[in-house]
Amino acid sequence: MVFLPPPHLASATRPSYAEAYSNILAAHRRSPLTSASSVIILVAPDVDALCAAKMLAELLKQDDVMHRIVPLSGIADLERMRDELMTYAELHTLILLNIGAILDLPSAEWFGDFSPQLRVHIIDSSRPQNLSSLFAGGEGGERVLIWDDGGAEDLEEERKAWETLAYEPEPDSDEDSEEEDLPEDQEEDDEYEAGSASGKRRSLGEGRSPGKRRRLDADRPPRISREQRDQYHARLDKHYLSGTWFGQSAAGTVYILATVLERVDNNLLWLAILGLTYQYMRCLISREEYDKYHSIYYDEVFRLNPPPPANDTQGLASLGPDDNSLRATDELRFALFRHWTLYDAMFHSSYVGSKMGIWKEQGRKRLTGLLAKMGYVVPFSKINQRLTLLDSFSIPQTQQPYSHMDMDLKRQLRTKLDIIAPEYGMVELSYPSFVRCYGYHTQPLSAADAVEALNALLDAATGVRMEVEVEGARNGGEWFGGGRVWRASGKWGAREVKEQQDEGHDEDANAEGRREEVDTEAEGKDRDSWLVRNFWNAFDALEDIMRLREALGLAMSVQKAIIRTGSSIIDKNDIRMTKGHRVVQLKQGPDLALFTHPGVLYRLGLWLADALRDRVSGANVGRRTKKKSLPLILACWNERARTYIVIGMNAALDFGDVKKNEFGLAFLDAKEDSGARTRHSSFDTSILEVNEADFDKFIVEVYRTKEKY
Amino acid sequence: MALPVSLRNSVTPPELELIASEQLVEIVPLIAMERTAFISGAYGPLRPPTKAKIPIWMAMNLKFKKKCHIVPPDWLNVEFLQERLIQETSRPEFSQLPFRFAEVAKLLLDVAQDDIQNPDKIRSLLKDIREARQAKSREGLQKIDHSELSLPNLCSMEINEIRPFFVRAMGVLTHITRDAATEARGFDGL
Repeated sequence: MVFLPPPHLASATRPSYAEAYSNILAAHRRSPLTSASSVIILVAPDVDALCAAKMLAELLKQDDVMHRIVPLSGIADLERMRDELMTYAELHTLILLNIGAILDLPSAEWFGDFSPQLRVHIIDSSRPQNLSSLFAGGEGGERVLIWDDGGAEDLEEERKAWETLAYEPEPDSDEDSEEEDLPEDQEEDDEYEAGSASGKRRSLGEGRSPGKRRRLDADRPPRISREQRDQYHARLDKHYLSGTWFGQSAAGTVYILATVLERVDNNLLWLAILGLTYQYMRCLISREEYDKYHSIYYDEVFRLNPPPPANDTQGLASLGPDDNSLRATDELRFALFRHWTLYDAMFHSSYVGSKMGIWKEQGRKRLTGLLAKMGYVVPFSKINQRLTLLDSFSIPQTQQPYSHMDMDLKRQLRTKLDIIAPEYGMVELSYPSFVRCYGYHTQPLSAADAVEALNALLDAATGVRMEVEVEGARNGGEWFGGGRVWRASGKWGAREVKEQQDEGHDEDANAEGRREEVDTEAEGKDRDSWLVRNFWNAFDALEDIMRLREALGLAMSVQKAIIRTGSSIIDKNDIRMTKGHRVVQLKQGPDLALFTHPGVLYRLGLWLADALRDRVSGANVGRRTKKKSLPLILACWNERARTYIVIGMNAALDFGDVKKNEFGLAFLDAKEDSGARTRHSSFDTSILEVNEADFDKFIVEVYRTKEKY
Repeated sequence: MALPVSLRNSVTPPELELIASEQLVEIVPLIAMERTAFISGAYGPLRPPTKAKIPIWMAMNLKFKKKCHIVPPDWLNVEFLQERLIQETSRPEFSQLPFRFAEVAKLLLDVAQDDIQNPDKIRSLLKDIREARQAKSREGLQKIDHSELSLPNLCSMEINEIRPFFVRAMGVLTHITRDAATEARGFDGL
């Protein structure tokens, strides 16, 4: 069996996570060539995979297994890595985190040609999974193990269909040669074929020539009838073509492994919580699924931590300098509200901002009205967004950063919001989540804030110039400007340019700005290297609470940039609506460099979806379903590479719901039909880089594709 | 020769910690191990849940991998240290403390916080004890003369602190005294 059921479904004949893990240990201990390259972990650049990598590293370190962690930025990286891995003789375990569920890994294109001692473990939260990775037996198949969360149990029908079609000869050779031609046409230079339609057809073909097949046919009568075959094909199509969605987080899977091994502790639990919160905050899973996993972690928190003090239900303070415990609290939907002023937090949150309509003057007034009703005063000057010196005696509570607010106001915040917010239509303002105390280093950090900080580090720690606000510098603070340029601290910061240091500059900001500019030019050529550096920055921040706190400032700037751009898009009415799709094209703006990163562009899309959700009716663009949703395509122009980064997302009409994302397939079809030059730059099939010349006809094809079904 | 000049005269605190981690400490092992030979000696067997005595360096390694629980030594608790602090502050002599208490306490507090009761209280008590003893050793150094200096019950970290100064000072004093003695004899001899 090449997919591992979760432990609660395991039995003697169906080994599960623990056996796979002990096999890794055994292989490590008995192989004579053991070195640091015996166990290699390939990690995708998102927060969930990062946390899972950290957890695995912890477990392996405790078992004295030498391992290596390699962050990868996209499919091209994976291909390059694969070629490199072919040359490692001592490699016996490969673990892929959030990579490769959709790829046909037992095939020769990926890992079919490696030595038989290699085992590939795939811990990936994206679905659908490739059926040949799940079900293929034989030598190639035994190598590949997918760690499943129980969803594959429901794929019995698909399994039957796949096995029949893979192992039975196909009777009608005319049909075969037609099907064989298509895979060849799709060979292109720097592409990867998603394991969807085309990949599946290729794996079925298995490279047998039509002539040979005809001979086989003559010997054996066809076992299955034409209708059966069509049924099976339809089944497989339904599995692959219904769009992408997400299952259990990778961090959650590793946490289950740790539970089975009985080695859980607070650190592992915290990382698992971060993985889950990341999935929920990026709208990859629905509220029901979040609640399901949340209740498991809730019990774990109470099992592993002392009960929290009764007077501190919101996790406001640590109990002592060594207090590293986790507590369960309710989290408000404001972004990072414990770290900047209350007004800002509500302004920049997608839930509140969209309900209020903050891109308009009227919306901002409504927000201040809400705060006034709760008893927090906001001065008139703030409404006009002009920075004036305020009367020092009456600095209102919402202008001060949260940490300077009065304690009783902080405590009452929740109750007041619960009373007043429903008048404005905001009913689901909070959701259950967790905070972690860090002794006296800092105030307790909530899971959502930690995820925001890590995400900001992964997106923007190096490679793009960001300005971060210095606390206390608003309203004409001590120094001139309001911000300083962000520099990642530590070994993985932006590269120092020695020559610049010789020039004497008084302003530190200027010198740093210069250095950053030179860096961004040099780094523009080397996108992968800054992604790798960002990954290690974020990895270090998981250990070091000071780094994580600094990163909160970066997260705030990223959030501000998103809101700025989103508001200007809505203001200028830049959303083109064509046949049910909404397309946004970003061609200019102060933050264009930031939005060439797919992660940030995706968040802009989420914000726009939230903003549009209540104001427009959905469109029915599903191929298979009649349900309405809100499809959104965002394109950002990358000046340096002369391409457009295109993201397709399918937002649901109800808040807290998710719909399957069919854009991955739509993009592939559109690419074929329009002949555009494209590249998949990340592991997500719904993110694509299109050459700028081909962009328009590509987009036209995307609309047309939807009509074919 | 990699150390800066000022540190070459004496041992550095991390080195002292290394020397101190050879001491035996009691643990409750969570894994089983046969009697194994290490460079410094043979330890084990480890049979959970019976306690065993192993060197601190090994205990720290196992604790880091969550394979044992460390039992703090009988002097590393709040009552004992409180009593000693009262003694320090009331009497002019140094009170009796284990010779390498500072190093062992630091090592165990770093690794095994969850096995020790009230770690922050213990840390503050240790700091108070250290300051009291430091004041006394400063006074004691004023009585230095060329032949001997006796500071009973001084512990290894503190000895290490005053050693460079002490050695040089003794040397200079001996020099001065010898010169004074020869001068005095010289006068007599005339």
